[in-house]
Amino acid sequence: MNLNIKANKNNTFDAIVVGSGMSGGFAAKELTERGLKVLMIERGHEIKHIEDYDTAMKEPWDFEHRGKTTNLSAEERWANSRFWGLGSEEVVNHLTNDKENPYIEKRAFDWIRAYHTGGKSMHWGRQSYRWGKHDFEANAKEGIGIDWPIRYEDLEPWYTHVEKFVGISGQKEGLEVLPDGHFLPAMPLFAPEAHFKNKMMERFNRPVTVGRVANLTQPQDIHTSLGRASCQYRSKCQRGCPYGAYYSSLSGSIPAAMRTNRLSVLHDSIVAEIIYDEQKKRASGVRIINQNTMLTEEYFAKIIFLNAGSINTAALMLNSKSNRFQNGFGNESDQIGRNLMDHQLGSGATASIEGFEDDYVYGQRPNAMYIPRFRNWGNDKQTAYLRGFGYQGGASREGWESGINADGFGANFKQSLTKPGPWSIRIGGFGEILPNPNNRIYLDSEKKDKWGIPMIVTDAAFVENDWAMRKDIIASAVEMLETAGFKNVTPYDRPTHMGLGIHDMGTARMGRDPKTSVLNSFNQVHDCKNVFVTDGAAMTSASCVNPSITYMALTARAADFAVKALKKKDL
Amino acid sequence: MKRREVIKNVALMLGGAFSAPTLKAMDNWENATKPNRNGIAFSLTETQQRIVAEIAELIIPKTNTPGAKDVGVPAFIEMMLKDCYKTPEHQSFIEGLDSMEKVKFLELNTDEKRGVLKLLEQETKKITSKTTPFWRLIKELTLLGYFTSEEGLKASFDYVQIPGKLELIKLKPNQKAYAY
Repeated sequence: MNLNIKANKNNTFDAIVVGSGMSGGFAAKELTERGLKVLMIERGHEIKHIEDYDTAMKEPWDFEHRGKTTNLSAEERWANSRFWGLGSEEVVNHLTNDKENPYIEKRAFDWIRAYHTGGKSMHWGRQSYRWGKHDFEANAKEGIGIDWPIRYEDLEPWYTHVEKFVGISGQKEGLEVLPDGHFLPAMPLFAPEAHFKNKMMERFNRPVTVGRVANLTQPQDIHTSLGRASCQYRSKCQRGCPYGAYYSSLSGSIPAAMRTNRLSVLHDSIVAEIIYDEQKKRASGVRIINQNTMLTEEYFAKIIFLNAGSINTAALMLNSKSNRFQNGFGNESDQIGRNLMDHQLGSGATASIEGFEDDYVYGQRPNAMYIPRFRNWGNDKQTAYLRGFGYQGGASREGWESGINADGFGANFKQSLTKPGPWSIRIGGFGEILPNPNNRIYLDSEKKDKWGIPMIVTDAAFVENDWAMRKDIIASAVEMLETAGFKNVTPYDRPTHMGLGIHDMGTARMGRDPKTSVLNSFNQVHDCKNVFVTDGAAMTSASCVNPSITYMALTARAADFAVKALKKKDL
Repeated sequence: MKRREVIKNVALMLGGAFSAPTLKAMDNWENATKPNRNGIAFSLTETQQRIVAEIAELIIPKTNTPGAKDVGVPAFIEMMLKDCYKTPEHQSFIEGLDSMEKVKFLELNTDEKRGVLKLLEQETKKITSKTTPFWRLIKELTLLGYFTSEEGLKASFDYVQIPGKLELIKLKPNQKAYAY
């Protein structure tokens, strides 16, 4: 793509989308499909779908360090390598070099980043759950934070729209706590998991289902027309899928936008500032800095979608100051950067399983089982904390790794490790974190990065509600595994910070009142209606389910609104 | 010397040698900040390399399938320690090798060597330090190096590059585990 252009005319588009990740990709797709000429701006380098998945087809022995994090990777990716496996040479080069892109941890925050085409959608866990009605109502009912300006019904058709395009495998369960969606055939639960499911229903009346996951179990025309094929059950998704079997911006939304011939993409371009036109009282475009050449350039559009990821979107807004917005773009409420949320994870329990010796699995399931929220739900009322958590996890037969801590060595030991080991199980909680204005990011007043942009400071931590929930996540996991009759039930609680859930959100929240929120019910900046924020920053609360399809649904809804408003000349 | 006596002597020496790493581990943070330990590239002497190779081969011996030495595990262990581990583990590993040198490990016969490793395995369980002990390091790296090597993996497991499907199956007698 030749975008080495200076003329204003050539730098002008109908819409600019900042970011190419989960929500940015979807914004580009929705806007181009509705006829808009779109410029998508990605701060990182270009990754081409399939072609650049350089580790995807490697054999185990092709990796020099066999999946271990090297000292060099741990130093360069000092934040990314805090997450399980992200320091591995299978994926590490597709994650941001933290040393070159540092941030300041006033309070430690595990900020996982992937600055390249598709962003973190290349690496996501693919778990895809609709929010329930209760998730949109809880803030108002409990007097926490502010009320959402929308309800489940507003988003419901957009969930369907997203699910059909993304392709989500799952089992309909008819549960109010976890609404069913538009699913491709479900993956199976393994024998001990099916036993666990039955026990949980029998003893606690708690449903268990197989994970709802964005891997194609049975591709439809909408998928194959983009070159996406069925899952091959290698479970090496995070390296990038050469079959396009799991959804990412790279396999889904960007190719969909490209085939309209209305998408242009700029790489290596850090959006430093939103340009505000004081006369027209609207944003006119953005100023970018090329991350390699350091050259700046301006691009213009009628509407701008901010999808840089919740922290970077907030930082960009805070850095965009003008006469009108002296405290940051659209920041009259002083809420930008605040209410940083995530899902707490890193705690749960493990157990060994006796029996099921004849049960085995061919293929690797890129999925887990899911235990929907049961706390503060129905008749359950917790006094120690608000909201709830879900569990993800599953059973598997142990491999040779079990030999590391077992006694023995020599010929028989070697032989024994070639057989499938006993089954074991692990379940870990994903807990809802409440909006809290003191959990925030802000820009350092003095320190700047190498592009001259103020550095981001993270200042957030778990509070009492989170710790009380965490205790219960562990205790309930132990209770459930014991009740299922599993052995050696062992709790685990990994020391962790906020951010490790990789679900950072909330830093430019939606709401009804411009005094307490940044965005309105269609994700428009209250005080500058031609700027939309539809990444995690928009979230008014966090639920306990994985957020990606909610971001995409909000994005599609906002894009539809924006294009209709443009046509009516309302924007 | 009879086998029993050798083991007895080894036990005494190991007992003496093994309290040291535990104590050392407590000073790890201090050591890690000492410039004279940091920045020194991890490397093994020829004797140490021979001990590593011997132990790795005792953990995964050549049978009707290749052994640790056949697939290059000894060199893998040294490379991994250098690239993926830090000073505390380096110290722990070197101290373990020192103990092996003290008991003249390379001069023992195979039975005696096995006896030493059994003892080492038991002694290791008593170590409470956060630093991974020598036995655990060499065992983990031997298994990792062997079972993920091309020859080791293919000889040990049913290697499936692209499953293409996901199926619940019943295990056949003596069926090997799948590797992917």
